[in-house]
Amino acid sequence: MRSLPRFGFGALAWCLFPTLLAPSARAGDAVLDALREELDRSLEVLSEQDTPAYFLSYEISEERNVSIGASFGGVTARVERERRYLDIDIRVGGYELDNTHPVRGMRGGGSGRYSPLSVPLSDLGALRKVLWFHTDKRYKDAIEQLTRVKTNIQVTVQDDVRVADFSPGSPEKALEDPVDFAIDRPLWEGRLERYTAPFSQSDHVYAADASISFTVVTRWFVNSEGTEIRTVEPYARLFVAASTKAEDGMSLPRYESFFGRSPDRLPDESTVLAAVDEMVRDLEALRVAPLADPYTGPAILSGRASGVFFHEVLGHRVEGHRQRSQEDAQTFKKMLGKPVLPATFAVVFDPTVSRAGSTDLAGSYRYDNQGVKGRRVGVIEAGVLKRFLMSRSPIAGFSGSNGHGRKQAGYAPVSRQSNLLVEVSEAHSSAQLKQLLVDRLREEGKEYGLYFQDIQGGFTFTGRTMPNAFNVLPIMVYRIYPGGREELVRGVDLIGTPLTAFSKVEAASDEIAVFNGTCGAESGGVPVSAVSPEILVSQVEVQKKAKSQDTLPLLSPPPATAPPHTVRWETVR
Amino acid sequence: MTRHKAPILTALACAACLPCSAGDSELMRAMRDEMGRAVNELQLGEMEKPFFISYLVREVTEANATAELGSVVSRSESSTRRLTVQVRVGDKSLDSTNFFGQSRGSSALARADFPVALPLGDDYGAIRRQIWLATDRSYKSALDRIARKRAALQNETRIDDVPDFSDQEPHTYADGEALGGVNLERLEALVRDLSDVFSGMGHVSASEVRGSATVNRFSYVNSEGSSFVRSAPTASINVQAGTQAGDGTVLEDSFSVYALKLDELSEGDNIAVLVRELAERLDALRDASHIERYTGPVLFQGQAAVELVQRVLAPKLLALRMPVAEDARMGRFLEQQMNPYVDKIGSRVLPRFLNVVDDPTINSIDGSPLLGGYPVDFEGVPSSPTALIQRGFLRTLLSNRTPVPGILSSSGSDRGSGPAPSNLIVESRDGLSKSEMLEELLAVADERELEYAIRVERVGGSLGMIGGRARRGGPSSRSGDGVQLGAVVAYKVYPDGREQLVRQAVAVGVSESSFRDIVAASEGRTVHTASFQFRNRLASRVILAQGPTLVSYVVPSLLFEDVTIRRPQGNIPRPPIVPQPPLPE
Repeated sequence: MRSLPRFGFGALAWCLFPTLLAPSARAGDAVLDALREELDRSLEVLSEQDTPAYFLSYEISEERNVSIGASFGGVTARVERERRYLDIDIRVGGYELDNTHPVRGMRGGGSGRYSPLSVPLSDLGALRKVLWFHTDKRYKDAIEQLTRVKTNIQVTVQDDVRVADFSPGSPEKALEDPVDFAIDRPLWEGRLERYTAPFSQSDHVYAADASISFTVVTRWFVNSEGTEIRTVEPYARLFVAASTKAEDGMSLPRYESFFGRSPDRLPDESTVLAAVDEMVRDLEALRVAPLADPYTGPAILSGRASGVFFHEVLGHRVEGHRQRSQEDAQTFKKMLGKPVLPATFAVVFDPTVSRAGSTDLAGSYRYDNQGVKGRRVGVIEAGVLKRFLMSRSPIAGFSGSNGHGRKQAGYAPVSRQSNLLVEVSEAHSSAQLKQLLVDRLREEGKEYGLYFQDIQGGFTFTGRTMPNAFNVLPIMVYRIYPGGREELVRGVDLIGTPLTAFSKVEAASDEIAVFNGTCGAESGGVPVSAVSPEILVSQVEVQKKAKSQDTLPLLSPPPATAPPHTVRWETVR
Repeated sequence: MTRHKAPILTALACAACLPCSAGDSELMRAMRDEMGRAVNELQLGEMEKPFFISYLVREVTEANATAELGSVVSRSESSTRRLTVQVRVGDKSLDSTNFFGQSRGSSALARADFPVALPLGDDYGAIRRQIWLATDRSYKSALDRIARKRAALQNETRIDDVPDFSDQEPHTYADGEALGGVNLERLEALVRDLSDVFSGMGHVSASEVRGSATVNRFSYVNSEGSSFVRSAPTASINVQAGTQAGDGTVLEDSFSVYALKLDELSEGDNIAVLVRELAERLDALRDASHIERYTGPVLFQGQAAVELVQRVLAPKLLALRMPVAEDARMGRFLEQQMNPYVDKIGSRVLPRFLNVVDDPTINSIDGSPLLGGYPVDFEGVPSSPTALIQRGFLRTLLSNRTPVPGILSSSGSDRGSGPAPSNLIVESRDGLSKSEMLEELLAVADERELEYAIRVERVGGSLGMIGGRARRGGPSSRSGDGVQLGAVVAYKVYPDGREQLVRQAVAVGVSESSFRDIVAASEGRTVHTASFQFRNRLASRVILAQGPTLVSYVVPSLLFEDVTIRRPQGNIPRPPIVPQPPLPE
């Protein structure tokens, strides 16, 4: 069995973001100054209108990106991109009730609209004119929306406890240094070719792609409460995906993804090539692996599988704004102060840690998209649910942000996850955990248990109109027999409902793994991490995976080099 | 069912039947080799083998840049090479195409027609592996489609016996040009400079300049022996600007300029002149008066006449096949998409003094460049001129190898997503001079006892840059029978020769039948290139792997007898609340 970066719990060191800004280093930033000037000028007039604006913020995100794609040993795409987006948060009314108040009966409460604005940066006069133009437009939209909100409150049922729409913030100042945007393209093209070439050796691999993407996101954020921030977030992602097909038509994929804050923080060539070799072996094994049957019983989730499990099943349900939405099932709202996991478990969201072991974490940041400092949030302490992830939108019982208001450029921020860390005070060894599983199997007279080694991701429904279920999509699943034998199987999804699933979590090992990914929800895609040990769950349920009906290719793979004679054919007329 | 007589040939024992392919690139070699194997061997069980296979590869390097007020807001550059496979099973009279059915969800069958990314380099093995997999998917998808098509036809008697695929002599073509590069820095500099023209202009509140430069190389092989390799570069600049008049009325305008190469676009400062003219137009419109409602003769001049031909007439000149629908509901949907001109061949659709010709073989007219030409179309058919309308009578339509009743062979007009015009030329006999056109306009107005007549110089309109909720009905939208066109620059013309600029006028209800009643056309013609929008929802090949399709229009000014012009519907948004920031020194 194998997992991505693994390390013992004892050796685990949380690295803090280096302090990029010494207060004396603030040499000023012309973009921030222009944002400030224009913000003050607009707000001066707009706060004097019949429906006054009481808050205004500007965020400019500049994204520079280079990506290269390859397939079966050849480079298939070269893309270079640079974009600058403007986001405006203008609020009319007051902190208690403003234009962002959820409109009941409207899908999504009126949020989640993608409206990116482009913005010039190199000419400050041009920047100010564009800010002026869009601020005026957004102000008019906001007063229209406030009227809708006020009417909606009159005509719909409201909560007993009135919560404010916005919490006051404190001014923040920060100026991170620019990062060199450079990637050695020939080097990476060669690597991607070498990473995808081994797949053509197999007759049964029908798709094999690799990509490297290097991005630097620079954000300028200014608000009417005095915050002025420039942050610089570089990241590199290497992704390898390949798939085969079983005789029955089932598509069987394998993915490997690597994350680093710079291209040289990604694993070296020999490490990736070893992972590729393993992918090829896994695909060959999966192709002939027996189909798993629907099953309920004990299972072990590897650190990566458990990370995704916690992200999907717990993480999305402790996002603060969901406790307020009338469309949301609010699974954990009334569980505050109550145990939801064994007392040895804690779940923390911490954007201030940048690494787990030697692996960079994707969900790290200093400031969220509302200019609030990212903070460590102990959501579950000693098994008890303590608090939620908060943006600046208050919910009953929690008024302030804890630095988790996040979004993709073009969306409005909501509370989102950062680095999810599952921490246990009592860790078994991996062998002990397996023994616990075997003991359970014997106790329950089960023929076998399951080990979820690798997953591709998952999804969950948190609403009320659909069953409040989750579905984690495993790729590598083993049956573990009481005698210790392991057998690879295919074709199942891990399913369940959140409260039941957590009540079945029993123990954890000291084998920790990291899952770095992008999480998509109503405020767009945001980078997140999940760090978790292997866990033992006394009962999971798996269902048959949806399967394609497509058959295997009819002809055998073509030769890799051109034959001496061109293949000829007679034209059918 | 027809059994194909294709003998199984091995690589060694075959008879040469293709032109020598010694000079082929690795890409062409991989395509030919895999095609040979597929034609010879590809067969699922006892089911029918393909009777036709084609591979079209588009290699493209593309640069895009957008600037506002002298500053670049986004830029990108990319290189890709994409393969589109077509496999047909059945036979030419009834095959797996021309079928409109339920989507196959996310299965490989549904994805079979999507372009596949091929390696950019000369890696024969990697390229051929992708072609092998794509051909396999496409073949299975074709089997699936023909089975469903036969099922749908089972309980129907086919009334037309138009074949699904027309005969075509094999044709080969190679232009020998290499795939060039694009210069992103140069493109950026161009859009930056053009957008900077707006910088000092207080009266333009929003503006944007987009630039794009693309070099394409297409490689095509089909199982009948046709092949081509040709390059097709395009470069374009699009400029948009908007403002609000003192009362809040939204004024927006835009234009696009095309060329084959970026160098041709950046030569001289003629685009900068157009940008300044656009800004001047917006300024002039701020003080122009509204028009309430007018019905009578309207003279469409220059760009406005081209726009009318482009939006209304050109889409009707295409031979679009009505596919077999999987069920009755889809059948009704398809009927609404039907081109009425398919039934009008032989009828008069224009006045007798007008001819319309499509000519992909020429590259200039009256000294102006035409950009819509090509030597061979996307089905490997050599291009040739087509006389579409002669003395007002519709003679034929632009067609590809998918025949329609009355048009059984290809005019060499397949431009990737079906037939499309190339260089569309409207010719008028005894065209009038500019002043004669105006006299004619006033004469028709006088006949109808109108106080004034209308002439329209520019058509365009709402871009949605200004105003929270953009009002629909932009440059052209359907309204009832005809098209609605925003007349950006229009004048009231009085009998005494006096003219008055009107703003925010909309021409409504212009349809192809309005073209029959054209009263006069001018001697002088406007040459204008635009990107063709495929609106063919009947296309069985949904996939657009070919990039922008340029069409050059050559159109005289046209006097229509009866057009309604009115104000756009809806209210006027408030003017800006905060004054503009001061202009930098």
